[in-house]
Amino acid sequence: MAAHLEEPSEEIRRLRHCLNDLVGLVALPAMWAGADSLQIVRTLLDALLRMLRLDFVYARWRDPASAEPVEIARVAESWQPISQPQDIGRMLFRELGDDPQKWAPLTRGSSGGAGVSIVPLRLGMYGELGLIVAGSERVGFPEQAETLVLNVAANQASIGLQETRLLGEQKRLTNELDRRIAQRTAELAATNEELRREISERMRVEEALRHSEAFLAEGQRLSRVGSFSWRTPTDEIICSEQMYRIFELEALMAVTIRLMSARIHPEDQSSFAAVVERARAAATDVEHEFRLLMSDGSVKHLYLIAHGGRDKNDQLEYIGAIQDVTERRLAEEALAELQSELARVARITSLGILTASMAHEVNQPLSGIITNASTCLRMLSADPPNVDGALETARRTIRDGTRASEVVTRLRTLYSKKELSPESMDLNDAAREVISLSLSELQRNRIVLRQELAESLPPVIGDRVQLQQVMLNLVRNASDAMSTVEGRPRELLIATEHEDDSRVCLRVKDSGVGFEPKSVNRLFEAFYTTKNDGMGIGLSMSRSIIEAHQGRLWATQNQGPGATFSFSIPCGANTKV
Amino acid sequence: MRPTRGPLVAVIDDDESVRESLPDLIREFGYAAQSFSSAEEFLASDGLSRAGCLILDVVMPGMTGLELQKELNVRGQRTPVIFITAQKDDGLRARVLEGGAVELLTKPFSDTALLAALRAAFPGG
Repeated sequence: MAAHLEEPSEEIRRLRHCLNDLVGLVALPAMWAGADSLQIVRTLLDALLRMLRLDFVYARWRDPASAEPVEIARVAESWQPISQPQDIGRMLFRELGDDPQKWAPLTRGSSGGAGVSIVPLRLGMYGELGLIVAGSERVGFPEQAETLVLNVAANQASIGLQETRLLGEQKRLTNELDRRIAQRTAELAATNEELRREISERMRVEEALRHSEAFLAEGQRLSRVGSFSWRTPTDEIICSEQMYRIFELEALMAVTIRLMSARIHPEDQSSFAAVVERARAAATDVEHEFRLLMSDGSVKHLYLIAHGGRDKNDQLEYIGAIQDVTERRLAEEALAELQSELARVARITSLGILTASMAHEVNQPLSGIITNASTCLRMLSADPPNVDGALETARRTIRDGTRASEVVTRLRTLYSKKELSPESMDLNDAAREVISLSLSELQRNRIVLRQELAESLPPVIGDRVQLQQVMLNLVRNASDAMSTVEGRPRELLIATEHEDDSRVCLRVKDSGVGFEPKSVNRLFEAFYTTKNDGMGIGLSMSRSIIEAHQGRLWATQNQGPGATFSFSIPCGANTKV
Repeated sequence: MRPTRGPLVAVIDDDESVRESLPDLIREFGYAAQSFSSAEEFLASDGLSRAGCLILDVVMPGMTGLELQKELNVRGQRTPVIFITAQKDDGLRARVLEGGAVELLTKPFSDTALLAALRAAFPGG
């Protein structure tokens, strides 16, 4: 350091200069309000360059935002042709070393011609903010006053950078806060939206549930089905509205097994109790029909189904339904009655024109004939013969015979006048109907029925009802023939077959008492009977019917016990009935 | 008319031709015969005490033959009964025999069937 002997005025001028600079430096921060670090450093460097008439000034600091080093430099005009600001940094690294933190003042370094003095100034208390480097070729640089200025400048720079850093930090934090708030708000808004959607969904579901509950209730009412659940350990029963209606209980009454049982028809009480016991014992599926006896005396038929299972507490619980099937049951009963009535009427009428009253009408004169004729014979063979008596009885016989023939004539005209309605028909179908009509009676007589109806039997032209009369007659005869059979099965076979090309044949075979071969023709005579209470008209009339169909009816003995009665009629469209 | 001998057979039937023809045949068999047109008429008469056997129609207006049979049982009358009927009812014969009847004859019945029934009604006669 050179000690200059100066004029006092020179010193005063220098000090005044220095004070001005200091004032200027101190005033800088006012300009820096709102500025970023680059602007701060730039203005400072410009001020320094001007104030101290430096050759170059260089700043290097870390950008708080990107943490990248930033460097700027200012170069005096006289230097500019040689060095550009960007060269300054390179030169400093060259002269002072790699680590800017360790840069030390250099006096009179060798850089492009005359020596230059370099003064690094650390920014920040520990130099953590960066550094400023001032350089000048002037001899004596830096003087005391200049050093002061440089230090103050460095201070100001530190202050400025620190401020911007803090401000930046503050701003960053504020932004962060704002961001977080915005995020939170968005999240809350989203949750809100979610909740709103859930609520409307729930309302929709509730509405749908209400709807379906209403449907269910209505459906139960219409179908007369009530549903219930029954928890067996506690006997807790929960019922639907329809259940209350079915049992005619007051709504909301607590329902118990006892209460339900009280309504049950006395005859069905014990079976119901047994079902309940079974249900209590183990989880099972229940199906039960029973009746209720209502307070006004009417009867309801109920059908119950329930399924047993274990609930989540492993308790036995039944869920089921009860349907009021009264109308259906009554309808079924009426139908069954009607069916049996129809079957009975069908049997009677298909047995032919002989209704009970008709039979009675024929029986009467016949009975008289036989009695009177027998009497006549005895009277004549008495000793002496009772001729008067014989004459009287003979007269009666003739009278009764006339009566009987009138009845028979009436029957014949009835039969012949009956509009034969021939049609193309399937003998198998007709046979099946006859079989179903006779089934219950055959069953009652313990007769085993077999049917061997030929497949693809060609149709015949015939009066369906009359042919069925014949079949029924043959079946009844077969049944009667077996009525005294014991010790061997009572078998009835009905078979159809296609007999050569032009005829269809039906056979009724029994395992009954059979007949005398000699008397086979007598079988078909009118009034012939082997039954001591029978009429014997059936076969005669049957044969007439078959012959009217251009067919024939005959009987054969079986190889084993019993007989076979068969008829065959022509098939096809060429027959005239 | 040959003098009647043998026990009295009462014929009870609302059917006129039966009342007309049956008694003659019965007489030819050697029995005595009397006819009544209803159960009530029979009960009102002395026929009950005199008849050794009854021939009853099952179906009659008023008191039926079955009802008459029951009535006689109640009264303790052991007179044998033969039923006749025009009905064809399979269970009827069993029922009447159970009720104590000798036989059920279904019209038209032969003279031999009637004779057999009468012989059964008068064992030993």
